[in-house]
Amino acid sequence: MSWKYLCDVGDVAANTARVIDVEGIPVLVVNYGRGFRAMPPLCPHMEEPLADSSIVANCVLTCTKHLWAWNLETLDMQGEAEKPLKTYDVKEEDGRLLALIEQELTYDFEEEDELDDAAFFS
Amino acid sequence: MLPSSAEAPGVARAADPGPEPVRQVTLESRTSRLDFACGAGETLLQAGLRQGVALPYECATGTCGSCRARVMDGEVEVAWEDAPGAARLRRERGDILLCQARARSDLRLRVPAAVGAGPSRCRLPQHRTGVIGERRLLTHDVMHFELVLSAPMSFEAGQFAVIRVPGLEGGRAYSMVNYREEARRLEFVVKRKPGGGFCDWLFGPGCGQQTLEVFGPLGSATFHPGERRNLLMVAGGSGIAGMMSILARASDGNHFRDHKARLFFGVRRLADGFYLDRLEDCVARAGGNLEVTLALSDETPAAATHPAHPRIRLAAGLVHDAMAEAMQGRYDNPLAYVAGPPQMVDGALRVMITQGQIAASDIRHDKFS
Repeated sequence: MSWKYLCDVGDVAANTARVIDVEGIPVLVVNYGRGFRAMPPLCPHMEEPLADSSIVANCVLTCTKHLWAWNLETLDMQGEAEKPLKTYDVKEEDGRLLALIEQELTYDFEEEDELDDAAFFS
Repeated sequence: MLPSSAEAPGVARAADPGPEPVRQVTLESRTSRLDFACGAGETLLQAGLRQGVALPYECATGTCGSCRARVMDGEVEVAWEDAPGAARLRRERGDILLCQARARSDLRLRVPAAVGAGPSRCRLPQHRTGVIGERRLLTHDVMHFELVLSAPMSFEAGQFAVIRVPGLEGGRAYSMVNYREEARRLEFVVKRKPGGGFCDWLFGPGCGQQTLEVFGPLGSATFHPGERRNLLMVAGGSGIAGMMSILARASDGNHFRDHKARLFFGVRRLADGFYLDRLEDCVARAGGNLEVTLALSDETPAAATHPAHPRIRLAAGLVHDAMAEAMQGRYDNPLAYVAGPPQMVDGALRVMITQGQIAASDIRHDKFS
Protein backbone atom coordinates (compact mmCIF):
# COMPACT_ATOMS: atom_id res chain seq x y z
CA MET A 1 0.00 0.00 0.00
CA SER A 2 1.50 3.23 -1.06
CA TRP A 3 -0.29 6.59 -1.09
CA LYS A 4 1.52 9.02 -3.36
CA TYR A 5 1.24 12.79 -3.35
CA LEU A 6 -0.36 14.10 -6.58
CA CYS A 7 -0.81 17.83 -6.04
CA ASP A 8 -2.61 20.28 -3.80
CA VAL A 9 -6.39 20.36 -4.07
CA GLY A 10 -6.25 23.90 -5.47
CA ASP A 11 -3.84 22.97 -8.25
CA VAL A 12 -6.52 21.49 -10.52
CA ALA A 13 -9.50 23.79 -11.07
CA ALA A 14 -13.04 22.47 -11.18
CA ASN A 15 -13.96 20.84 -14.50
CA THR A 16 -10.35 20.58 -15.64
CA ALA A 17 -7.78 17.83 -15.88
CA ARG A 18 -3.99 17.79 -15.91
CA VAL A 19 -1.27 15.19 -16.10
CA ILE A 20 1.04 14.86 -13.10
CA ASP A 21 4.20 12.80 -13.06
CA VAL A 22 4.31 10.58 -10.00
CA GLU A 23 7.76 9.01 -9.79
CA GLY A 24 7.76 8.40 -13.52
CA ILE A 25 4.13 7.33 -13.78
CA PRO A 26 1.90 9.78 -15.70
CA VAL A 27 -1.40 10.29 -13.85
CA LEU A 28 -4.33 12.32 -15.12
CA VAL A 29 -5.90 14.20 -12.20
CA VAL A 30 -9.46 15.28 -12.88
CA ASN A 31 -11.46 17.70 -10.76
CA TYR A 32 -15.12 17.10 -11.57
CA GLY A 33 -16.48 19.64 -9.13
CA ARG A 34 -17.76 17.19 -6.53
CA GLY A 35 -14.48 15.36 -6.21
CA PHE A 36 -11.30 14.15 -7.85
CA ARG A 37 -10.33 11.15 -9.94
CA ALA A 38 -6.86 9.90 -10.86
CA MET A 39 -6.38 7.68 -13.90
CA PRO A 40 -4.06 6.75 -16.76
CA PRO A 41 -3.74 9.70 -19.15
CA LEU A 42 -5.04 7.90 -22.26
CA CYS A 43 -8.54 7.24 -23.53
CA PRO A 44 -9.20 3.48 -23.31
CA HIS A 45 -10.65 3.57 -26.83
CA MET A 46 -7.79 4.65 -29.11
CA GLU A 47 -5.07 5.99 -26.80
CA GLU A 48 -6.02 9.64 -27.25
CA PRO A 49 -4.21 11.84 -24.66
CA LEU A 50 -7.08 12.86 -22.40
CA ALA A 51 -5.34 16.00 -21.14
CA ASP A 52 -6.05 17.50 -24.58
CA SER A 53 -9.04 15.54 -25.80
CA SER A 54 -11.25 15.44 -22.72
CA ILE A 55 -14.04 17.72 -21.59
CA VAL A 56 -15.21 17.64 -17.98
CA ALA A 57 -18.70 18.96 -17.30
CA ASN A 58 -21.64 17.88 -15.14
CA CYS A 59 -19.51 15.18 -13.50
CA VAL A 60 -18.97 13.57 -16.91
CA LEU A 61 -15.67 13.13 -18.72
CA THR A 62 -16.10 13.07 -22.51
CA CYS A 63 -13.30 12.30 -24.96
CA THR A 64 -13.94 14.52 -27.97
CA LYS A 65 -12.22 12.10 -30.34
CA HIS A 66 -15.18 9.72 -30.62
CA LEU A 67 -17.50 10.94 -27.85
CA TRP A 68 -16.80 8.12 -25.41
CA ALA A 69 -17.95 9.37 -21.99
CA TRP A 70 -17.97 8.28 -18.35
CA ASN A 71 -19.76 9.55 -15.26
CA LEU A 72 -16.95 10.44 -12.84
CA GLU A 73 -19.02 9.94 -9.69
CA THR A 74 -20.20 6.43 -10.56
CA LEU A 75 -17.68 5.53 -13.30
CA ASP A 76 -20.65 4.35 -15.41
CA MET A 77 -20.06 4.33 -19.14
CA GLN A 78 -22.06 6.85 -21.19
CA GLY A 79 -22.43 7.87 -24.82
CA GLU A 80 -20.48 5.64 -27.17
CA ALA A 81 -18.14 4.21 -24.51
CA GLU A 82 -17.54 0.45 -24.70
CA LYS A 83 -14.75 0.10 -22.11
CA PRO A 84 -14.60 1.26 -18.47
CA LEU A 85 -12.13 3.80 -17.14
CA LYS A 86 -9.42 2.48 -14.83
CA THR A 87 -8.76 4.69 -11.81
CA TYR A 88 -6.45 4.95 -8.82
CA ASP A 89 -8.07 5.41 -5.41
CA VAL A 90 -7.84 9.05 -4.33
CA LYS A 91 -8.04 10.78 -0.95
CA GLU A 92 -7.62 14.32 0.37
CA GLU A 93 -5.53 15.08 3.45
CA ASP A 94 -5.04 18.65 4.66
CA GLY A 95 -5.58 20.08 1.20
CA ARG A 96 -3.24 17.57 -0.36
CA LEU A 97 -4.43 15.06 -2.94
CA LEU A 98 -3.08 11.52 -2.66
CA ALA A 99 -3.49 8.47 -4.91
CA LEU A 100 -3.02 4.81 -4.10
CA ILE A 101 -0.51 3.74 -6.73
CA GLU A 102 0.83 0.22 -6.44
CA GLN A 103 1.85 0.02 -10.07
CA GLU A 104 1.06 1.90 -13.26
CA LEU A 105 -2.42 1.18 -14.61
CA THR A 106 -2.52 0.72 -18.36
CA TYR A 107 -5.12 -0.25 -20.91
CA ASP A 108 -4.26 -3.33 -22.83
CA PHE A 109 -4.91 -2.23 -26.38
CA GLU A 110 -4.05 -5.71 -27.60
CA GLU A 111 -5.92 -7.60 -24.96
CA GLU A 112 -7.31 -10.13 -27.42
CA ASP A 113 -3.82 -11.60 -27.78
CA GLU A 114 -3.47 -12.56 -24.20
CA LEU A 115 -6.90 -14.07 -23.87
CA ASP A 116 -8.01 -17.50 -24.87
CA ASP A 117 -11.09 -17.79 -27.03
CA ALA A 118 -13.45 -18.22 -24.11
CA ALA A 119 -12.30 -14.99 -22.53
CA PHE A 120 -12.25 -13.10 -25.83
CA PHE A 121 -15.92 -13.83 -26.43
CA SER A 122 -17.05 -13.23 -22.86
CA MET B 1 -23.79 -15.37 -45.48
CA LEU B 2 -24.77 -14.45 -41.98
CA PRO B 3 -24.86 -17.11 -39.29
CA SER B 4 -28.19 -18.61 -38.40
CA SER B 5 -28.19 -16.77 -35.09
CA ALA B 6 -28.37 -13.37 -36.78
CA GLU B 7 -31.84 -11.90 -36.63
CA ALA B 8 -31.66 -10.63 -40.16
CA PRO B 9 -32.91 -13.09 -42.72
CA GLY B 10 -33.73 -10.22 -45.06
CA VAL B 11 -30.30 -8.70 -44.78
CA ALA B 12 -28.39 -11.51 -46.50
CA ARG B 13 -31.02 -11.69 -49.25
CA ALA B 14 -30.76 -8.00 -49.97
CA ALA B 15 -26.97 -7.99 -50.29
CA ASP B 16 -25.56 -8.05 -53.78
CA PRO B 17 -22.99 -10.79 -54.48
CA GLY B 18 -20.12 -8.36 -55.01
CA PRO B 19 -17.31 -8.75 -57.49
CA GLU B 20 -15.76 -12.22 -58.11
CA PRO B 21 -13.86 -14.13 -56.88
CA VAL B 22 -15.42 -14.37 -53.48
CA ARG B 23 -13.39 -15.07 -50.34
CA GLN B 24 -14.87 -16.25 -47.06
CA VAL B 25 -14.20 -14.11 -44.01
CA THR B 26 -14.71 -15.30 -40.46
CA LEU B 27 -14.87 -12.39 -38.04
CA GLU B 28 -14.43 -12.76 -34.30
CA SER B 29 -15.50 -9.85 -32.14
CA ARG B 30 -16.00 -9.31 -28.43
CA THR B 31 -19.61 -10.31 -28.75
CA SER B 32 -19.98 -12.44 -31.86
CA ARG B 33 -18.54 -14.74 -34.49
CA LEU B 34 -19.79 -13.94 -37.98
CA ASP B 35 -19.08 -15.12 -41.51
CA PHE B 36 -19.35 -13.01 -44.62
CA ALA B 37 -18.16 -13.09 -48.22
CA CYS B 38 -15.72 -10.57 -49.68
CA GLY B 39 -15.32 -9.88 -53.39
CA ALA B 40 -11.93 -9.21 -54.98
CA GLY B 41 -12.58 -5.59 -55.80
CA GLU B 42 -13.99 -4.46 -52.48
CA THR B 43 -12.53 -3.69 -49.07
CA LEU B 44 -13.26 -5.87 -46.07
CA LEU B 45 -15.20 -2.97 -44.56
CA GLN B 46 -17.42 -2.65 -47.62
CA ALA B 47 -18.01 -6.40 -47.75
CA GLY B 48 -19.07 -6.61 -44.13
CA LEU B 49 -21.22 -3.49 -44.07
CA ARG B 50 -23.18 -4.30 -47.22
CA GLN B 51 -24.05 -7.71 -45.73
CA GLY B 52 -25.30 -6.26 -42.46
CA VAL B 53 -22.22 -6.85 -40.29
CA ALA B 54 -22.03 -3.75 -38.08
CA LEU B 55 -18.24 -3.28 -38.25
CA PRO B 56 -16.80 -0.28 -36.38
CA TYR B 57 -15.94 2.63 -38.69
CA GLU B 58 -16.29 6.38 -39.01
CA CYS B 59 -14.57 7.80 -42.09
CA ALA B 60 -14.32 4.63 -44.25
CA THR B 61 -11.41 6.27 -46.09
CA GLY B 62 -8.29 5.58 -44.01
CA THR B 63 -8.02 8.67 -41.83
CA CYS B 64 -9.72 7.90 -38.51
CA GLY B 65 -8.38 4.44 -37.55
CA SER B 66 -11.69 3.23 -36.11
CA CYS B 67 -11.89 0.06 -38.24
CA ARG B 68 -8.79 -1.61 -36.82
CA ALA B 69 -8.70 -5.40 -37.07
CA ARG B 70 -6.14 -8.18 -36.74
CA VAL B 71 -5.52 -10.83 -39.39
CA MET B 72 -5.35 -14.18 -37.56
CA ASP B 73 -5.24 -16.42 -40.67
CA GLY B 74 -4.98 -15.61 -44.36
CA GLU B 75 -3.61 -12.87 -46.60
CA VAL B 76 -4.77 -9.35 -47.34
CA GLU B 77 -3.65 -6.63 -49.71
CA VAL B 78 -3.42 -3.11 -48.27
CA ALA B 79 -4.35 -0.29 -50.64
CA TRP B 80 -2.92 2.70 -48.76
CA GLU B 81 0.00 1.75 -46.51
CA ASP B 82 0.54 5.31 -45.28
CA ALA B 83 -3.08 6.01 -44.37
CA PRO B 84 -3.13 8.43 -41.39
CA GLY B 85 -5.44 6.08 -39.52
CA ALA B 86 -2.84 3.30 -39.79
CA ALA B 87 -0.19 5.22 -37.82
CA ARG B 88 -0.85 3.37 -34.57
CA LEU B 89 -1.36 -0.12 -36.00
CA ARG B 90 0.75 -3.01 -34.72
CA ARG B 91 1.60 -4.19 -38.19
CA GLU B 92 3.96 -6.86 -36.92
CA ARG B 93 0.96 -8.45 -35.23
CA GLY B 94 -1.07 -8.38 -38.42
CA ASP B 95 -3.17 -5.30 -37.69
CA ILE B 96 -4.95 -3.67 -40.60
CA LEU B 97 -7.60 -1.07 -41.33
CA LEU B 98 -10.66 -2.85 -42.72
CA CYS B 99 -11.33 0.12 -45.03
CA GLN B 100 -7.91 -0.26 -46.70
CA ALA B 101 -7.62 -4.04 -46.96
CA ARG B 102 -8.81 -6.50 -49.59
CA ALA B 103 -8.93 -10.27 -49.15
CA ARG B 104 -6.34 -12.32 -51.02
CA SER B 105 -7.43 -15.60 -49.45
CA ASP B 106 -10.07 -16.81 -47.05
CA LEU B 107 -9.55 -14.95 -43.78
CA ARG B 108 -10.01 -15.15 -40.06
CA LEU B 109 -10.10 -11.68 -38.47
CA ARG B 110 -10.48 -10.28 -34.99
CA VAL B 111 -12.04 -6.92 -34.23
CA PRO B 112 -11.54 -5.40 -30.75
CA ALA B 113 -15.10 -4.17 -30.48
CA ALA B 114 -18.63 -5.41 -30.04
CA VAL B 115 -19.94 -6.28 -33.51
CA GLY B 116 -23.56 -7.06 -34.11
CA ALA B 117 -25.34 -8.35 -37.16
CA GLY B 118 -28.85 -7.45 -37.95
CA PRO B 119 -31.09 -4.77 -39.27
CA SER B 120 -29.89 -1.30 -38.47
CA ARG B 121 -32.23 1.63 -38.77
CA CYS B 122 -30.16 2.85 -41.70
CA ARG B 123 -30.23 1.25 -45.13
CA LEU B 124 -27.37 -1.15 -45.92
CA PRO B 125 -24.70 0.33 -48.16
CA GLN B 126 -24.12 -1.14 -51.60
CA HIS B 127 -21.78 -0.83 -54.56
CA ARG B 128 -23.11 1.34 -57.35
CA THR B 129 -21.59 3.29 -60.19
CA GLY B 130 -22.29 6.83 -61.29
CA VAL B 131 -21.29 9.59 -63.66
CA ILE B 132 -20.86 13.27 -62.90
CA GLY B 133 -23.94 15.29 -63.81
CA GLU B 134 -24.23 19.01 -63.25
CA ARG B 135 -21.18 20.84 -61.89
CA ARG B 136 -21.54 24.38 -60.57
CA LEU B 137 -18.95 26.67 -59.01
CA LEU B 138 -20.51 28.17 -55.85
CA THR B 139 -17.57 30.34 -54.79
CA HIS B 140 -14.05 30.71 -56.15
CA ASP B 141 -13.02 27.40 -54.54
CA VAL B 142 -16.25 25.52 -53.76
CA MET B 143 -17.94 23.24 -56.28
CA HIS B 144 -21.41 21.71 -56.20
CA PHE B 145 -21.69 18.52 -58.21
CA GLU B 146 -24.23 15.83 -58.97
CA LEU B 147 -23.64 12.14 -59.31
CA VAL B 148 -26.11 10.30 -61.51
CA LEU B 149 -26.34 6.77 -60.13
CA SER B 150 -26.65 3.44 -61.92
CA ALA B 151 -29.31 2.42 -59.42
CA PRO B 152 -31.26 4.62 -57.00
CA MET B 153 -30.07 4.95 -53.40
CA SER B 154 -32.13 5.56 -50.29
CA PHE B 155 -30.28 7.13 -47.41
CA GLU B 156 -30.83 9.00 -44.16
CA ALA B 157 -30.28 12.75 -44.03
CA GLY B 158 -26.73 13.38 -42.80
CA GLN B 159 -25.15 10.29 -44.37
CA PHE B 160 -22.22 10.14 -46.80
CA ALA B 161 -20.92 8.05 -49.68
CA VAL B 162 -17.40 7.05 -50.71
CA ILE B 163 -16.59 7.97 -54.30
CA ARG B 164 -13.68 6.45 -56.18
CA VAL B 165 -12.33 7.51 -59.53
CA PRO B 166 -10.74 4.62 -61.45
CA GLY B 167 -7.07 5.45 -61.81
CA LEU B 168 -6.96 7.70 -58.73
CA GLU B 169 -5.85 5.95 -55.55
CA GLY B 170 -8.25 5.87 -52.64
CA GLY B 171 -11.87 6.75 -52.11
CA ARG B 172 -13.16 10.14 -50.96
CA ALA B 173 -16.02 10.52 -48.53
CA TYR B 174 -18.65 13.19 -49.22
CA SER B 175 -21.90 13.85 -47.43
CA MET B 176 -25.03 14.06 -49.51
CA VAL B 177 -26.43 17.61 -49.77
CA ASN B 178 -29.89 16.64 -50.98
CA TYR B 179 -32.45 14.33 -49.46
CA ARG B 180 -34.96 12.11 -51.13
CA GLU B 181 -36.08 8.50 -51.05
CA GLU B 182 -34.80 6.36 -53.91
CA ALA B 183 -32.52 9.14 -55.11
CA ARG B 184 -31.20 8.71 -58.63
CA ARG B 185 -29.11 11.88 -58.33
CA LEU B 186 -26.89 12.59 -55.34
CA GLU B 187 -25.68 16.13 -54.69
CA PHE B 188 -22.32 16.87 -53.10
CA VAL B 189 -20.13 19.86 -52.37
CA VAL B 190 -16.36 19.97 -52.39
CA LYS B 191 -13.85 22.63 -51.46
CA ARG B 192 -10.81 22.76 -53.68
CA LYS B 193 -7.56 22.04 -51.91
CA PRO B 194 -4.15 22.48 -53.51
CA GLY B 195 -2.78 19.15 -54.68
CA GLY B 196 -6.02 17.29 -54.02
CA GLY B 197 -6.16 14.55 -56.65
CA PHE B 198 -9.94 14.21 -56.68
CA CYS B 199 -10.44 17.99 -56.58
CA ASP B 200 -8.08 18.57 -59.49
CA TRP B 201 -9.92 15.90 -61.44
CA LEU B 202 -13.35 17.27 -60.53
CA PHE B 203 -12.45 20.89 -61.25
CA GLY B 204 -10.79 19.81 -64.51
CA PRO B 205 -12.34 19.32 -67.94
CA GLY B 206 -12.32 15.55 -68.41
CA CYS B 207 -14.56 14.26 -65.66
CA GLY B 208 -17.78 14.02 -67.64
CA GLN B 209 -17.05 10.75 -69.39
CA GLN B 210 -15.70 8.59 -66.61
CA THR B 211 -17.70 6.07 -64.60
CA LEU B 212 -17.12 6.35 -60.85
CA GLU B 213 -17.49 3.74 -58.15
CA VAL B 214 -19.88 4.78 -55.38
CA PHE B 215 -20.32 2.99 -52.05
CA GLY B 216 -22.97 4.08 -49.62
CA PRO B 217 -24.88 5.18 -47.74
CA LEU B 218 -22.56 5.38 -44.72
CA GLY B 219 -22.37 7.31 -41.46
CA SER B 220 -24.36 7.66 -38.28
CA ALA B 221 -24.76 11.44 -37.90
CA THR B 222 -28.31 11.14 -39.15
CA PHE B 223 -31.60 12.92 -38.61
CA HIS B 224 -34.98 11.21 -38.27
CA PRO B 225 -38.07 13.43 -37.98
CA GLY B 226 -39.64 10.79 -35.74
CA GLU B 227 -37.23 11.74 -32.96
CA ARG B 228 -39.16 14.99 -32.47
CA ARG B 229 -36.32 17.11 -31.08
CA ASN B 230 -35.02 20.64 -31.39
CA LEU B 231 -31.83 20.81 -33.46
CA LEU B 232 -28.54 22.64 -33.05
CA MET B 233 -26.22 22.46 -36.06
CA VAL B 234 -22.69 23.80 -36.43
CA ALA B 235 -20.83 23.50 -39.73
CA GLY B 236 -17.60 24.85 -41.12
CA GLY B 237 -17.11 25.19 -44.89
CA SER B 238 -18.14 22.11 -46.83
CA GLY B 239 -19.23 20.53 -43.53
CA ILE B 240 -22.55 22.22 -44.34
CA ALA B 241 -23.34 19.37 -46.79
CA GLY B 242 -24.97 16.98 -44.34
CA MET B 243 -26.78 19.85 -42.61
CA MET B 244 -28.38 20.81 -45.94
CA SER B 245 -29.71 17.27 -46.26
CA ILE B 246 -31.02 17.37 -42.69
CA LEU B 247 -32.74 20.72 -43.29
CA ALA B 248 -34.30 19.44 -46.50
CA ARG B 249 -35.60 16.35 -44.72
CA ALA B 250 -36.84 18.35 -41.75
CA SER B 251 -38.58 20.94 -43.95
CA ASP B 252 -40.29 18.30 -46.07
CA GLY B 253 -41.40 16.46 -42.93
CA ASN B 254 -42.91 19.61 -41.35
CA HIS B 255 -40.47 19.20 -38.48
CA PHE B 256 -40.32 22.95 -37.90
CA ARG B 257 -44.02 23.20 -37.24
CA ASP B 258 -43.36 21.97 -33.68
CA HIS B 259 -39.58 22.09 -33.25
CA LYS B 260 -36.86 24.70 -33.41
CA ALA B 261 -33.50 24.53 -35.15
CA ARG B 262 -30.49 26.80 -35.10
CA LEU B 263 -27.80 26.45 -37.75
CA PHE B 264 -24.41 28.17 -37.50
CA PHE B 265 -22.41 28.10 -40.71
CA GLY B 266 -18.79 29.24 -40.58
CA VAL B 267 -16.89 30.67 -43.56
CA ARG B 268 -14.07 33.20 -43.88
CA ARG B 269 -15.73 36.08 -45.65
CA LEU B 270 -19.16 37.08 -46.87
CA ALA B 271 -18.22 36.07 -50.40
CA ASP B 272 -17.38 32.55 -49.20
CA GLY B 273 -20.97 31.77 -48.19
CA PHE B 274 -22.89 29.33 -50.41
CA TYR B 275 -26.26 27.53 -50.55
CA LEU B 276 -27.70 30.76 -49.15
CA ASP B 277 -30.72 30.61 -51.47
CA ARG B 278 -31.60 27.17 -50.21
CA LEU B 279 -31.00 28.14 -46.60
CA GLU B 280 -33.14 31.22 -46.94
CA ASP B 281 -35.91 29.13 -48.47
CA CYS B 282 -35.77 26.76 -45.48
CA VAL B 283 -35.96 29.71 -43.07
CA ALA B 284 -39.00 31.08 -44.92
CA ARG B 285 -40.77 27.72 -44.83
CA ALA B 286 -40.01 27.17 -41.13
CA GLY B 287 -42.16 30.10 -40.01
CA GLY B 288 -39.82 31.47 -37.35
CA ASN B 289 -38.64 28.16 -35.96
CA LEU B 290 -35.38 28.04 -37.94
CA GLU B 291 -32.51 30.49 -37.45
CA VAL B 292 -29.54 30.46 -39.80
CA THR B 293 -26.41 32.42 -38.92
CA LEU B 294 -23.44 32.85 -41.23
CA ALA B 295 -20.32 33.42 -39.10
CA LEU B 296 -17.43 35.25 -40.77
CA SER B 297 -14.02 34.52 -39.28
CA ASP B 298 -11.92 36.92 -41.39
CA GLU B 299 -14.28 39.83 -41.95
CA THR B 300 -16.50 42.04 -39.83
CA PRO B 301 -20.05 42.01 -41.13
CA ALA B 302 -21.44 45.43 -42.00
CA ALA B 303 -24.97 44.58 -40.85
CA ALA B 304 -26.85 42.08 -38.74
CA THR B 305 -28.26 40.28 -41.76
CA HIS B 306 -26.89 39.26 -45.14
CA PRO B 307 -27.22 42.08 -47.70
CA ALA B 308 -28.58 39.78 -50.42
CA HIS B 309 -30.31 37.24 -48.16
CA PRO B 310 -32.09 39.18 -45.40
CA ARG B 311 -33.38 36.06 -43.65
CA ILE B 312 -29.82 34.96 -42.92
CA ARG B 313 -28.13 36.47 -39.88
CA LEU B 314 -24.49 37.47 -39.83
CA ALA B 315 -22.00 37.16 -36.97
CA ALA B 316 -18.31 37.91 -36.57
CA GLY B 317 -15.72 35.40 -35.44
CA LEU B 318 -15.21 31.67 -35.34
CA VAL B 319 -18.42 29.74 -35.82
CA HIS B 320 -18.33 27.98 -32.44
CA ASP B 321 -17.76 31.30 -30.68
CA ALA B 322 -20.70 32.79 -32.56
CA MET B 323 -22.76 29.77 -31.52
CA ALA B 324 -21.71 30.11 -27.88
CA GLU B 325 -22.73 33.77 -27.80
CA ALA B 326 -26.03 33.31 -29.58
CA MET B 327 -27.12 30.18 -27.73
CA GLN B 328 -26.45 31.33 -24.17
CA GLY B 329 -29.47 30.44 -22.05
CA ARG B 330 -31.59 29.02 -24.88
CA TYR B 331 -30.25 25.61 -25.80
CA ASP B 332 -33.64 23.87 -25.29
CA ASN B 333 -32.18 20.37 -24.91
CA PRO B 334 -31.38 19.84 -28.59
CA LEU B 335 -29.98 17.08 -30.72
CA ALA B 336 -26.68 18.51 -31.94
CA TYR B 337 -24.84 18.03 -35.22
CA VAL B 338 -21.24 19.07 -35.90
CA ALA B 339 -19.20 18.87 -39.11
CA GLY B 340 -16.17 20.75 -40.37
CA PRO B 341 -12.43 21.18 -39.86
CA PRO B 342 -11.02 19.38 -36.77
CA GLN B 343 -10.34 22.53 -34.74
CA MET B 344 -13.81 23.86 -35.35
CA VAL B 345 -15.33 20.52 -34.41
CA ASP B 346 -13.33 20.40 -31.19
CA GLY B 347 -14.33 23.96 -30.30
CA ALA B 348 -18.00 23.31 -31.02
CA LEU B 349 -18.03 20.09 -28.96
CA ARG B 350 -16.52 21.95 -26.00
CA VAL B 351 -19.15 24.69 -26.13
CA MET B 352 -22.00 22.21 -26.54
CA ILE B 353 -20.92 20.00 -23.63
CA THR B 354 -19.78 22.66 -21.14
CA GLN B 355 -22.12 25.58 -21.87
CA GLY B 356 -25.01 23.77 -23.51
CA GLN B 357 -24.92 20.85 -21.06
CA ILE B 358 -25.56 18.56 -24.01
CA ALA B 359 -24.78 14.90 -23.31
CA ALA B 360 -22.38 13.08 -25.63
CA SER B 361 -25.21 10.76 -26.62
CA ASP B 362 -27.12 13.74 -28.04
CA ILE B 363 -24.27 14.88 -30.28
CA ARG B 364 -23.97 13.39 -33.76
CA HIS B 365 -20.71 13.65 -35.60
CA ASP B 366 -18.79 11.40 -37.99
CA LYS B 367 -15.08 11.83 -37.42
CA PHE B 368 -13.08 12.20 -40.61
CA SER B 369 -9.70 12.92 -39.01
